[in-house]
Amino acid sequence: MERRLPRRLARWSDLLIVTGVLVVCGFLIAWSGVYNVAASRGHWPIVERLLAFSMRNSVEARANFVGSPPRFSPDLVRLGAAHFHGGCAYCHGAPGQPSGQVAQHMLPPPPDMAVVASHWNERELFWIVKHGIKYTGMPAWVSQTRDDEVWAVVAFLRQISALDPQIYRELAVGDLEIAVPSGRDLATREAATEAVSACGRCHGAEAHGPKSRLVPVLHGQTSEFLMISLGDYAAGRRESGIMQPIAAALNLAEMRKVASYYAALDPPRAAARDPADADAVERGRLLASQGEAHAQIPPCMACHGGTGLDAYPRLVGQSAPYIAGQLRLLRAAVSRRSPAGGIMIPIARRLSDRQIDDVAAFFASFAVREGGEETGQ
Amino acid sequence: MSRMPALALLAPAAWLAACSGEQSALAPRGSDAAWIADLAWLLFGGGGVVLAMVIAALVLSIRGPPAIRARLARPATMVAAGLFFPIVVLSSLLAYSLWLTGLTLPVADTGHVLRIEVTGEQWWWRVDYVRPDGSRVASANELHIPVGQRIDIVLRSADVIHSFWVPRLGGKVDMIPGRTTRLQLHAEEAGVYRGQCAEYCGGAHALMAIEVVAVPATAFEAWLARQAEPAVVPASERGRRGQDLFIAAGCGACHAVRDTSAAVIGPDLTHFGSRRSIGGAMLPMSEQNAARFIADGQYVKPGNRMPPFRIFSDDELAALSAFLVALR
Repeated sequence: MERRLPRRLARWSDLLIVTGVLVVCGFLIAWSGVYNVAASRGHWPIVERLLAFSMRNSVEARANFVGSPPRFSPDLVRLGAAHFHGGCAYCHGAPGQPSGQVAQHMLPPPPDMAVVASHWNERELFWIVKHGIKYTGMPAWVSQTRDDEVWAVVAFLRQISALDPQIYRELAVGDLEIAVPSGRDLATREAATEAVSACGRCHGAEAHGPKSRLVPVLHGQTSEFLMISLGDYAAGRRESGIMQPIAAALNLAEMRKVASYYAALDPPRAAARDPADADAVERGRLLASQGEAHAQIPPCMACHGGTGLDAYPRLVGQSAPYIAGQLRLLRAAVSRRSPAGGIMIPIARRLSDRQIDDVAAFFASFAVREGGEETGQ
Repeated sequence: MSRMPALALLAPAAWLAACSGEQSALAPRGSDAAWIADLAWLLFGGGGVVLAMVIAALVLSIRGPPAIRARLARPATMVAAGLFFPIVVLSSLLAYSLWLTGLTLPVADTGHVLRIEVTGEQWWWRVDYVRPDGSRVASANELHIPVGQRIDIVLRSADVIHSFWVPRLGGKVDMIPGRTTRLQLHAEEAGVYRGQCAEYCGGAHALMAIEVVAVPATAFEAWLARQAEPAVVPASERGRRGQDLFIAAGCGACHAVRDTSAAVIGPDLTHFGSRRSIGGAMLPMSEQNAARFIADGQYVKPGNRMPPFRIFSDDELAALSAFLVALR
């Protein structure tokens, strides 16, 4: 007589029981506080490997959907360097400048970009800078609509490993002289000079203009316009991952001071300029001074020429890449919640790519001579 | 059940009530519109009679006395009622409507009379009065005509197809890019007649309206002479401040105010304050409404081509509006 052996194949009920036990165990571990979340202790090596593996794969997978990078011009690198110095170097360090003591005690400690930047390709760096990384302290870019700014940081990161401290400083801070505060100031003030030095790093100060042509000249703009811009950035109506946090850190009195400081400056002497295409400048001059009625494009100079409202920016003498970049952002309806964006977006949308480049070339063709007099090229 | 017939009677009454307004083809106030209304009534009436005849024939052919059914079934009846009758009726209707169309078309341009050119633009009407001496007077969004005269209207489009239709004064004619079409307007009595773009032309099409103001001939001449003059110089301090703002804010980059700016992108505002409405029959003319259109025009007339100017303080907006509304 044959004995039947009990056949125990896995059944659904068994699977449910095992899953239930695992969930309960997991909950007990979380509930009991056994797991140590201390940043002072680090991860187990196996956990650390698993986390690094997940992060790398997540970034690599998602970076596939990032568009192709723009050309990394020296202007883009300088803008990226200046922002890196103010926004990133405290945690990541920079050539010749170790990361901050507090940042070194984060978990994971923010890596030295001169070492790790080469571990990622351009689109992966872009994805990380734009979106940040969960659980690491790496924040997302403040404005998710300013890919142009994110690319500036990536352009700089491509070069960071090759920079010695002196070249880095020249790139990030330039010829800006930062006055050493007095002992009394250091002892009694909160760090109020930090913000102003932040302006000058990109926009220049005193007789020096911006060191990247992607950055606007603030010298001689009206203080009304500068106040409106700072207010719009601080409130998030005007979008910029670089300018929003800087403006939001200023109080109204500081905004007034910095606005009237730049308003009182003479236009900086023109740096060496690219030889502009004379035809483009002439086409731009016609469009800027007469508009194009059948395309419903009003003349730029009616508002931006110097007789316009104090709330309007003066565009004469701005660099071509800055104006073209701003017009393309407006055409893409970035900063649509700002009153100025509300006016310019419908107009920018009527401009063709060539018209944008033409008017940019025209405004940039004004050079400033030693005496401070503006002249056409 | 007992209330159903009452409701059925009321429904068309409510519907017809909408036809007595300032924009009804069934309440004509000019010869051209009256001819078109007559044609419409003839079609309604004739169509009703034909429908009654068809239904009667249908009922008789099913339930009628055998003698009549036999008659209806005769080939001669079919040829007469089914072929001969429609050919005669439709042909005479065609001839009548062609003759009517000819009546409503303007005669060849003689150059001795006033001509009004209306250009449809997204989403407003550019209006130019061309006087017999060739001089032009620019205006927008409101059409003035003398009572009792047949006025030539030359229709053009600056962008897409629009259609010009003032139902109480005349027919409906398309404004086609690259072409010039014509129409005559005739008002028998003074009054304000509303017109509406009648061809879908994009976002704000439904809000592209125009008011036609018909006045006695002498009043019209006086009005046109005043429109031909340059803009009045602001008299008040507030008005002067408004004029400065108009220039500095760049309003003049799109809008003409003769002697201050000469732009042609947007409506001519030289005599803005003399118009009845703002934004093409959108808001009654007032300083508050002018301010509203400047700052919140995209809420008043969504999609219109003028950017919203939300950069002014309340004071500045009031001064700018005061300047504009004083442009009479």
